[in-house]
Amino acid sequence: MRSKKRLLAICQNGLLAVYSVFALFPLIWMVLLTFKSDAQMFDTAFVFTPTLENYKAVLLRTDYLRYFCDSVIVSFGAVLISILAGVPAAYALARYDFKKKENVAFQILSFKFAPEILVVLPLFMIYQKIGLYDTYLGLIWVYQLITMPLLIWVVRGYFEDISVEIEHAAQVDGYFWWQIFLKTLVPLIKPGLVSSALLAFIFAWNSFTFPLQLAGIKVEPVTVAALKYLASDTVHYGQMAVAATISALPAIIFALLIQKHLVRGLSFGAVKG
Amino acid sequence: MAKIELIGITKKFGKITALDNIDLEIRDKEFFVLFGPAGAGKTTILNTIAGIQIPDKGDVKINGEVANQVDPQHRDMAMVFENYALYPHLKVYDNIASPLRSPMHKKDEAFIKEAVESVAALLRIDKLLERLPSQLSNGQRQRVALGRALVRRPKAYLMDEPLAHLDAKLRNMMRSELKEIQSNFESTSIYVTHDFMEAMSLGDRIAIINKGSIVQIGTSDEVYYLPCNEFVAQLMGDPEINMLSCRLDKKDGAYEAALWEFACVCTVPKDKELYERLDACGAKDLHIGIRPQNIKYRFDPAEDYSVGTVNSFEAIGNKSVLVVKLGAAEVRIIVPNDLQVKLDQEVYVKLDMERALFFDAATTEYICRYDEASFRAHAAGQAGKE
Amino acid sequence: MIPVVPKKKVGDADNINAPPLSARIRPYLIVAPALIITIGIMIPFAMAIYYSLTSYSFRLPDYSFVGLRNWIRMFQAPEFWRAVWVTLRYASFSTGIEMLLGLGIALLLGNLNNRFSRIMRVALIFPLMVAPVIATIIWQLMLNSSVGIVEKFLNVFGVYNFPWAASHSTAMMTAVMIDVWVNCPFIIVLILAGLQSLPKSPFESAKIDGGSAWFNFRKLTLPMLKPYIYIALLFRLMAALQEFSIIFALTKGGPGDTLMNISITAYNTGFQFNKFGASLPYILFLWVVIYILAKQIAQRWQAAQRQASGKSIDERGEAG
Repeated sequence: MRSKKRLLAICQNGLLAVYSVFALFPLIWMVLLTFKSDAQMFDTAFVFTPTLENYKAVLLRTDYLRYFCDSVIVSFGAVLISILAGVPAAYALARYDFKKKENVAFQILSFKFAPEILVVLPLFMIYQKIGLYDTYLGLIWVYQLITMPLLIWVVRGYFEDISVEIEHAAQVDGYFWWQIFLKTLVPLIKPGLVSSALLAFIFAWNSFTFPLQLAGIKVEPVTVAALKYLASDTVHYGQMAVAATISALPAIIFALLIQKHLVRGLSFGAVKG
Repeated sequence: MAKIELIGITKKFGKITALDNIDLEIRDKEFFVLFGPAGAGKTTILNTIAGIQIPDKGDVKINGEVANQVDPQHRDMAMVFENYALYPHLKVYDNIASPLRSPMHKKDEAFIKEAVESVAALLRIDKLLERLPSQLSNGQRQRVALGRALVRRPKAYLMDEPLAHLDAKLRNMMRSELKEIQSNFESTSIYVTHDFMEAMSLGDRIAIINKGSIVQIGTSDEVYYLPCNEFVAQLMGDPEINMLSCRLDKKDGAYEAALWEFACVCTVPKDKELYERLDACGAKDLHIGIRPQNIKYRFDPAEDYSVGTVNSFEAIGNKSVLVVKLGAAEVRIIVPNDLQVKLDQEVYVKLDMERALFFDAATTEYICRYDEASFRAHAAGQAGKE
Repeated sequence: MIPVVPKKKVGDADNINAPPLSARIRPYLIVAPALIITIGIMIPFAMAIYYSLTSYSFRLPDYSFVGLRNWIRMFQAPEFWRAVWVTLRYASFSTGIEMLLGLGIALLLGNLNNRFSRIMRVALIFPLMVAPVIATIIWQLMLNSSVGIVEKFLNVFGVYNFPWAASHSTAMMTAVMIDVWVNCPFIIVLILAGLQSLPKSPFESAKIDGGSAWFNFRKLTLPMLKPYIYIALLFRLMAALQEFSIIFALTKGGPGDTLMNISITAYNTGFQFNKFGASLPYILFLWVVIYILAKQIAQRWQAAQRQASGKSIDERGEAG
């Protein structure tokens, strides 16, 4: 009986290990690649002399930092707008019972499922006409399709978790509704708000389809820039790896920060982890 | 310091009628108790007075002025919520201080410090001021909620089962403290409870509520001795009042009640008012309510005593309940703790008809009792003391 | 005890209990900024429908209203049906593999409780955090025949120059593999959360009743996981049906038309061939399908949720 259990445990750990290799090895190898010089690129596998040459090349001699900044500006701006407009909307959806409430809520959610190309094709034309093509504002606005539904749905759940009696108590105490909102409710949803904001930031950061067509010259997030690297004539694989690593790093760091609220955020509040 | 009136208040939640045409008048400086079973609508009434809920119909008047549109911030009340509603992110000190920091009632920090600390000392939570609500027991949280209300001098205190989660000793102590605070502060208090002993001991007047309607309003003596129907009679009293069915017959000008459950014919004691009411009512099928302390018992036969057997004997604190099987009925009698009985022992009981309550069996409404006049006078005197 | 916003009825002018205007419109005011922003995004949808009925092209200066011509042509075009086929294959393969694999790994993580599994619960999220574009780049580097580690690995077994994304037969598999790599963690996280939220008592009583692990799984675990499975399916399937980044970064739809799903086809028609008006029906069609499918799955999810919570009401006791 004991040995059967042990065999089972070994099998389970083994299967998990196989998947873990599949999941994590590419990332590890990519990081390794960033330290490989062009000379040793083709011949060696794991044993090589590490060099910082690739990092120097990408960070100092190309516009990569500019692309990185563009990503920061656009993602941060998108999340900020979503918070300012989305948090009150989340509150309204949580507390008030008005006509067509669930319709409005589902409508906001459905933006997430809309095909990106469907948005890109007409917006490409509209943005050029109204001068939002290749601008920060243009991307920030379109990114709302990614960030706003997430924020509204998840933060709504956090508001619903707060007993409405606390608001009543604050009213009886003598506070007015904007004070109750800012001084009582916001502090209570802060952890949830922060983690949804970070998750929304990650999704905005990872967006490719929108910036591909709606920006490109003046504004270029890292996702689009990285692909351009691949298409260039002389491919420096090490530098490619650096581009990929730097692009992926912020998302991974943020993910570590928001672990506790990850499930709720990923499922748009449908699942309370 | 406020007189509060509810006039014709009706409130519906979807299909459920929470309050149905409620009329209440709470006098200035009165300690008014709302009493009733769970779901009766007591909390809804409190919310309506506080302004948290707006009634569908009817008026809320505070000091004579209609206050329906006045929001809770401006009504100058303090409320203790059944589920405490403490601010989870604030320490106990800040929770209690919260009303004194709001724009409506702002005070300086020195004043706040003194007020909070004295209230905390009163409620025995002065050692907990630095903790968060999550670090407190239920009883402690409840006291913090009380503290948050008591730290101010509002027009009225609205308290929703504020002692429900305290242990018996603390509850008794807090009951007397609350009464004292209320008379010292000279404030109007509206107190919700489903504990009838609390209601009787604390309330100047009690309103009994059931399924969204007011059943009876009166002093504790009034609702206990002169309940308006069987529901009220059964609600007040522990152990519950005994209800027996009987048939009324007039013989030689005297009413006689022939009991259904066991063979006994009791004479209804002669009282002008009692007889007049029975005549007026005309009902022949009645229910007789006898409180457990109004039944005489002995262990050897005697005249006018009916025989029964001991069904159970329960000690409930400083008294005991003897349940006697009497024909088809089970009768509860209050007996001393040291009474020695054996199960199925024979016991002889006699109902004290002078203390019986008569109800119309069909409508369950109260008809009369012997010497009702003196009870009414006593109750009026009690009310007059307010 | 959510405050219901009462509706103003006729004759309310004298009703002292009708809430003031400011209170009644407050919820709409609060939602307004969000709605304004999203309406701004709704406009493209409306325009897409309009322009799909025109012959708009980026090259030609003017266009004409052509009615349903674009639509009819699309349904007659072999490229359309090819795109539908590719879309279905891609979506079902990737979603199917992700769901099964994700479920399996989640079960493993749920059963094991050693250091390794605990670390993996955190670490296995990483692929999900990488942008699909970047993930495609990483995999292309790995599968590269000159420098790729996978190539070097396969060399050991005597396999050289495996075509991966370059061949008709293996391109779909490569794209699906990358999709699975990125998105499987999503399923894992959700199912794991579901497993950890399952009540213990049914399992304890099942243990007493005796019964194989497989039986318990089928009759207890799986039904209670249904809401989580539906949510995971909803998000992943809708995304896979309109996948663009991975395929674009991998081969832009090639080789030939192996990976030309609806999104890529619409993109090419619109931006490569500049047939803007003709490209829109493709993507509008996809959107309608996704919308209908999403509602279906969402309804099933809500039903599963109600069933799951219905079972535990007796455990929670009656509301006071």
